[in-house]
Amino acid sequence: MTDNAIQNSSSDTGHTGGASDAPTGSSGNLIISCKDVTVSFGDFQALKGISADVYEGEVVVIFGPSGSGKSTFIRTINRLEEHDGGTIIVDGIELNDDIGNLDQIRSEVGMVFQQFNLFPHLSVLRNITLAPQKVRKMGREESETLAMELLERVGIPEQADKFPSQLSGGQQQRVAIARALAMQPKIMLFDEPTSALDPEMIKEVLDVMGELARSGMTMMIVTHEMGFAREVADRFLFFDEGEVVEEGTPEHFFTNPQEDRTKLFLSQIL
Amino acid sequence: MNVADTQVTRIERSTIDRARKWARANLVNGTANTVLTLVSVTLAAYLIYTLTRFVFVGADWEVVDVNRRLIFLGRYPKEEQWRIWPPMWMVMGLGGLSYGMLSRGSLRDLAWLGAAVVFILAFLATTTNGLLFGGGVLVSIAAYGLGRLSIGRPLLRSKLRLVTIVGWFLVIPFAIILITGFGGVKPALWGGLLLNVLLAAIGIGVGLPLGILLALSRASSLPLLKGFATSIIEITRGGPLIAWLFIARFVLPAFIPDAFETDPIVNSMIVVSLFTGAYVAEIVRGGLQAVDRGQVEAADALGLGTFNVTVFIVLPQAIRAVIPALVSQMIALWKDTTLFAFLGFTDALSGGQAAYNQAAFKGSQIEVLVFVALLFWAVAFGMSRLSQRFERVLGIGVR
Ligand SMILES: Nc1ncnc2c1ncn2[C@@H]1O[C@H](COP(=O)(O)OP(=O)(O)OP(=O)(O)O)[C@@H](O)[C@H]1O
Ligand SMILES: [Mg+2]
Repeated sequence: MTDNAIQNSSSDTGHTGGASDAPTGSSGNLIISCKDVTVSFGDFQALKGISADVYEGEVVVIFGPSGSGKSTFIRTINRLEEHDGGTIIVDGIELNDDIGNLDQIRSEVGMVFQQFNLFPHLSVLRNITLAPQKVRKMGREESETLAMELLERVGIPEQADKFPSQLSGGQQQRVAIARALAMQPKIMLFDEPTSALDPEMIKEVLDVMGELARSGMTMMIVTHEMGFAREVADRFLFFDEGEVVEEGTPEHFFTNPQEDRTKLFLSQIL
Repeated sequence: MNVADTQVTRIERSTIDRARKWARANLVNGTANTVLTLVSVTLAAYLIYTLTRFVFVGADWEVVDVNRRLIFLGRYPKEEQWRIWPPMWMVMGLGGLSYGMLSRGSLRDLAWLGAAVVFILAFLATTTNGLLFGGGVLVSIAAYGLGRLSIGRPLLRSKLRLVTIVGWFLVIPFAIILITGFGGVKPALWGGLLLNVLLAAIGIGVGLPLGILLALSRASSLPLLKGFATSIIEITRGGPLIAWLFIARFVLPAFIPDAFETDPIVNSMIVVSLFTGAYVAEIVRGGLQAVDRGQVEAADALGLGTFNVTVFIVLPQAIRAVIPALVSQMIALWKDTTLFAFLGFTDALSGGQAAYNQAAFKGSQIEVLVFVALLFWAVAFGMSRLSQRFERVLGIGVR
């Protein structure tokens, strides 16, 4: 997986306009496919026709100005928002009103939120074991073993019996990642996972995410941590006003951005 | 040795210091506060003095002593009295266990417990029931001890927790089966404080789950269910409890076919449960709205599904947020059970009234009313304390 970035940079063309039917150099199977996706809140159209494909094992980073629809897009992929136009296919199943197994799709797609959203009334361990027990029908012991392995992986096994409010922000976000991983998802979505954190805690969360990326997980990440993004991403999507304005490898964006809006935004955040 | 000594003095000194600091900060900071403190201390001292004087010198407690049965049991037949003790012991045991498990391990508890025991025994030790009651108190203390013991012992604690929860669920059905079943006592003959307790217990036991269901229905997106729940809640809350009780007692029987006719007190219990349910529903609805949207999103994103999300994520947080309001509602219900006197049932208050209306005890209203008030207060206070404990223990995760 790690050589995806190298492969991609060799085909560093960076097409614009959002239509991305062609694979960008990854060898995996198509796992998320979005075509002309629109989402509206009342009269306001937050997404104005997004097309994007993600291949198994790929890490895609989404960035763009505030209000550009990044969160809306990533939330549409596990149907926390409903789209009103276009098609979304996740792991071979189209998202629409008739799907009876929405919860099954959601259990294949892990999500990490900006505000962590841990369950405050449950211990760290219980936060992680609840879904495997209720959805995957895993036994108590098995799920607790799994939870401890995951806490080990995110580096805080000693916090298992604490409650979320007793942890630092960085620790909470790592628990949230462990909680999502406990469902053994095929895809992980991250919506600005570090922007509610104090600077000194950002690294510990990014390290966990970097390790996850190297392990071959398919990831979609909304973030403005461009250094981190450049390191782990196979592909960038730049959003503005509900559209994909520019798409390409990290190298493309850092060395040769095409669109004026991209250049302007990058000059502001770098 | 030396180290321990200095530690003791340090603790003592710091306690005194703290008390002095507290007093300076809270009682005598500024002229206005000092005056207020003096006034309230004087007032409190005066009240305590007159009350104590009345209780030990002025009052003649014979009226309460003679009419104890009337106040506690009303017309409940004497030979069936044994049926009351087992559920009562169960409640005392469970109460002690819960209180102990929720305790922080402070000495203050023991002081409270001791005071309560002395106080209750003073009223009851003189009768044959004193022994039975004393036994219950011992059970309660033992259970409290066991509960305290479980602090810091997770295995024992999880077992005790199960016992406590199951126990509290079973105690009301158990009491009702034992009292009415096997040739027992019809509800029409329940009376005195027993009647108040059973009415309140049933009102809470049925009204609480009913209210939660109503709140969830009202919050649901199914229009029919939502409309149904909303109308039940709004209609019920539209009238005072006493009016609903009168309707259940005197109006409903005219419309219900004879075959379905039930004991008037059972009708009234249904009304009380519905009434409590409506208020609980609105309290819980407030709690549901207070749960962060992100909680549901996170749970949805895990694929937990509506049922699991509601039961394991939303409801625990919603109810936790409204425990104080729920307890207020329970306490209000507890006191509202005196309204049953208007339907012709003899509860503790009307039993007391009957007592001081006896020719032999003319003019002893104060003694009787003080005693009955104390009974109501003691139960309400106990509920309030237990809920504060509960809240504090549950509070761990929130803050
Ligand atoms: N539930 C909603 N109701 C109405 N409008 C919404 C809702 N959610 C998002 N929007 C609007 O849709 C647009 C896109 O919002 P979105 O949260 O996706 O932006 P974003 O790119 O994630 O921004 P940020 O960087 O600030 O998180 C914004 O204009 C926002 O006001
Ligand atoms: Mg956002």
